[in-house]
Amino acid sequence: MDDLLADFVAETREMLEAIGGELVAWEAEPGDSARLDSIFRFVHTVKGNCGFFDFPRLEKLSHAAEDALAECRAGRREPDQQLVSAVLAIIDRIGEMTDAIEAGVDFSADGDQALIGALAVGAADVAMEPLPSGSVVAAEGEAGAEELSEKGAKVALQRTIRLPVSLLDEVMKGVSDMVLARNDLARRLREAGEQPAIDGPFERLSAILADVRTAITRMRMQRLEYLFGSLPRLVRDLSAELGKQVMVDFEGGDVELDREMIEMVRDPLTHIIRNAIDHGIEAPADRLKSGKREIGLLRFSARQSGNRISLVITDDGRGVPGDRLAAKAVAAGIVSEAEAARMTERQKLLFMFEPGLSTAEAVSQVSGRGVGMDVVRANIEKVGGTIDVTSKAGEGTSFHLQLPLTLSIIAALTVEVEGQLYAIPRSYVEEVAFANVQDIEFARAGERQLMTFRGRRVPCVALADVFGIADPRRIAWGSKTLVVMRLASDEVFALGVDRVHDHEDVVVKPIAPAIMDTRLYAGTTLLDDGRPILLLDIPSIAAQRGLNSEVRKRVVTVDSDDTHSTTGARAPVMLFLGLDGRKRAIRLETVRRIDTIQREAIDIEGGRAQAVVGADIFSLAGHESGPLPEGRCRLLRLSDGDSQIAYIVREVVDAGAITQDVVSADDPALEGVTLIDGELVPIVEVHRLFAAQPRPARRDAAPVCRLPADSEWARTILEPLVRAAGYTLTTELHLEADVAIIMDEGEPAPSGPARATIRLSADPEVSGGAIYRYDREAVLGALREASAGHSASGSAE
Amino acid sequence: MNQLLLMCLIAGRRAAIPAVRVQSVIEIEAVTPIPGAPDFIVGLTALRSQALTVIDCRVSLGFPASDRVVGSRAAVIEHEGHRYALVVDEAFDVVEALSQPVDLPGGFGEGWLHAARGMVETETGPALLVDVEQLVRGPRPASAAA
Repeated sequence: MDDLLADFVAETREMLEAIGGELVAWEAEPGDSARLDSIFRFVHTVKGNCGFFDFPRLEKLSHAAEDALAECRAGRREPDQQLVSAVLAIIDRIGEMTDAIEAGVDFSADGDQALIGALAVGAADVAMEPLPSGSVVAAEGEAGAEELSEKGAKVALQRTIRLPVSLLDEVMKGVSDMVLARNDLARRLREAGEQPAIDGPFERLSAILADVRTAITRMRMQRLEYLFGSLPRLVRDLSAELGKQVMVDFEGGDVELDREMIEMVRDPLTHIIRNAIDHGIEAPADRLKSGKREIGLLRFSARQSGNRISLVITDDGRGVPGDRLAAKAVAAGIVSEAEAARMTERQKLLFMFEPGLSTAEAVSQVSGRGVGMDVVRANIEKVGGTIDVTSKAGEGTSFHLQLPLTLSIIAALTVEVEGQLYAIPRSYVEEVAFANVQDIEFARAGERQLMTFRGRRVPCVALADVFGIADPRRIAWGSKTLVVMRLASDEVFALGVDRVHDHEDVVVKPIAPAIMDTRLYAGTTLLDDGRPILLLDIPSIAAQRGLNSEVRKRVVTVDSDDTHSTTGARAPVMLFLGLDGRKRAIRLETVRRIDTIQREAIDIEGGRAQAVVGADIFSLAGHESGPLPEGRCRLLRLSDGDSQIAYIVREVVDAGAITQDVVSADDPALEGVTLIDGELVPIVEVHRLFAAQPRPARRDAAPVCRLPADSEWARTILEPLVRAAGYTLTTELHLEADVAIIMDEGEPAPSGPARATIRLSADPEVSGGAIYRYDREAVLGALREASAGHSASGSAE
Repeated sequence: MNQLLLMCLIAGRRAAIPAVRVQSVIEIEAVTPIPGAPDFIVGLTALRSQALTVIDCRVSLGFPASDRVVGSRAAVIEHEGHRYALVVDEAFDVVEALSQPVDLPGGFGEGWLHAARGMVETETGPALLVDVEQLVRGPRPASAAA
């Protein structure tokens, strides 16, 4: 509560200063009603604030003064000199107590009653001449006074000033300009070669600049407490109005958020709270009936993860009935009944954010006023955030808000298309897939390009096509990098780009209306080298391509089992065609990934069959069932946790689930057979495959690479590369890794045990064995070298 | 009478931009193209920490596009909170207008029709006073111009 308290102190002090003159004037002329009013307002405000902070004594004092003054204002009492003195004494006392609050010391209660008593009509001579402030402190006795003066010095250091945000913005802009100028200078210095006399001071300048930039950014930040602070009152009022009892609980109030962002989420949050109290939390009697505590609970928890804040609002009410939402959606013609029937609970819940669907049967005074959750979502998205909902019947509802730290700085992925860079807001990016590395199958449905990724069909759009600079029919999908996007409405599509470059925090500026009219861009930003690039407007692009409405149906119909739901005894499987062309299923948990290799990479000799994937050799299975295909071969990489086996298949069909009983088959190679979508499918017995391995594979386990746990860059940019190089990843420090990658910046992070270490540097001018982090070849080379070392040590064992 | 004008060459003709609107004259160093944007918008360029929308005045006036935007001079102006770089063939000095803009019988010819506010006399001879807003708005659709 420190920030709030500081604000309270600052505000009270400001008011005290402001009414200083009034007090004097009022003293001279107690009948002046204008002065009376302003003094009344002061004590009234103090009283209000105190109630909020739980300062009962301060509240009592100001309350007493307020009462007395109210009498005067109502004309029931004539302000006289005695009253003026008493009020002034109280105001002085308020000032002193404020000081004590700031210093964090107790303030003796002595004299409070006397001060209040002096307000009474005809209290006569309580001998309260305008109290010199010192005298009260003296009356405090040794404890208070001593401590107060001791803390005095500390207090002075914490003084705050109020500044207009625009001034901060101006400073921030200036610093941004300085950073760009620095980058420019850095480039020139690099070109000019090494100049120790200049490089040293320049480095220092850079470091200082970075610090200043951070400090300026922090200036705009405010603790969430600020927002939370106003909520208990809102909750209290609403629950009183609705005859419910609600308790609030906050967690993570120390998380900081851009001031403007806080203002932007205030309304959506208020709306969510209204809904929760109105529709979520039941009346006390109903709660008791369903075995809950009489008092409902509304929890707010915030936490920062990277550049985003996640805010979860949870109530323990009756939950949102997904079926009712679905029924409404059907009634509103958004989906057909059959489609709704196939939807998962989660998909049904998302109808909540559809315009014009309100579950409230009866419109109450509090919510259901026509401002729906669709508006809430729109507002959250406007500031670059996302909103999601989960609900369990009878147990409550949670809203998950993801917010960027600031309005103007967003986390973005830079991608390249036809030689130009563009930025994509990271909040939409679910995954980056490489068509040439990962197993992605492309298919066409009419004019629509689809890809099968993680067992689901995802519509693809090439960014070059969106821009109208490439013929959609002639796009080389196989060489594209696919950025899988998830829209807030939970619809997924993939954006094909030439390359993914980097993860950056970018400062977004508005763009000219004529560019806005293209409905492709949301803003512009400058790269570190000062080049402007455009920020893509992903929802709008999706809407233009019709990807945000019809797709939902498509995803639902193609892929009714993408959710990892555990309802019933569903066991996910991967369906494939064996080399003999027969359809089989294999339990999905055992399939680690799908590889595509050339026929030449498979070596079969007698009873030994092996496949080379990347730099690793795997034992091969599944080849007995038929002739090897020519050219490309598909392998399912199976893992039992320790070792891995490559299982060759003709074709990966789909993901499915075992929902029926598995009937034992009279074949040791099969776990049994079952009906999947009405079709009899044999299930491969994985255990036998691993058991059949003569030696549990000296090279089977993929080498382990440890990435820095706290680096966003490592997670988003480096991870796919390392993975593609055949490593499994860890961030655990205590595990022995084959190779550890550490980022060469700031103080060295603890790296944990590793056989080899690769140091990456963000600076292209690297030194001391580090590798520039975008030197792809060098990074891959180092990884290969490390994995060769892994295999050598593996074979020695 | 003494309005200051930035003298420049647009589509090979002498033109004048009110100097009060011009924040600076820059040389376009690099342009980031904007796929999907109308033709008269060449792209974005950076001026210090700000991105400017680069507008090819030739296209705005209905002439064929400039051959080379990079290396050209451009007048930086602000319009409704956004900053634009108006690419001109050449930019000269700032001079004083010696007359009010006047219409010529018969107009100024196609293209200039909607963007020229009239002819002004200057020390260096007559020039067409262009309307910055019209340049920023882009060329008129052919039907509207007819």
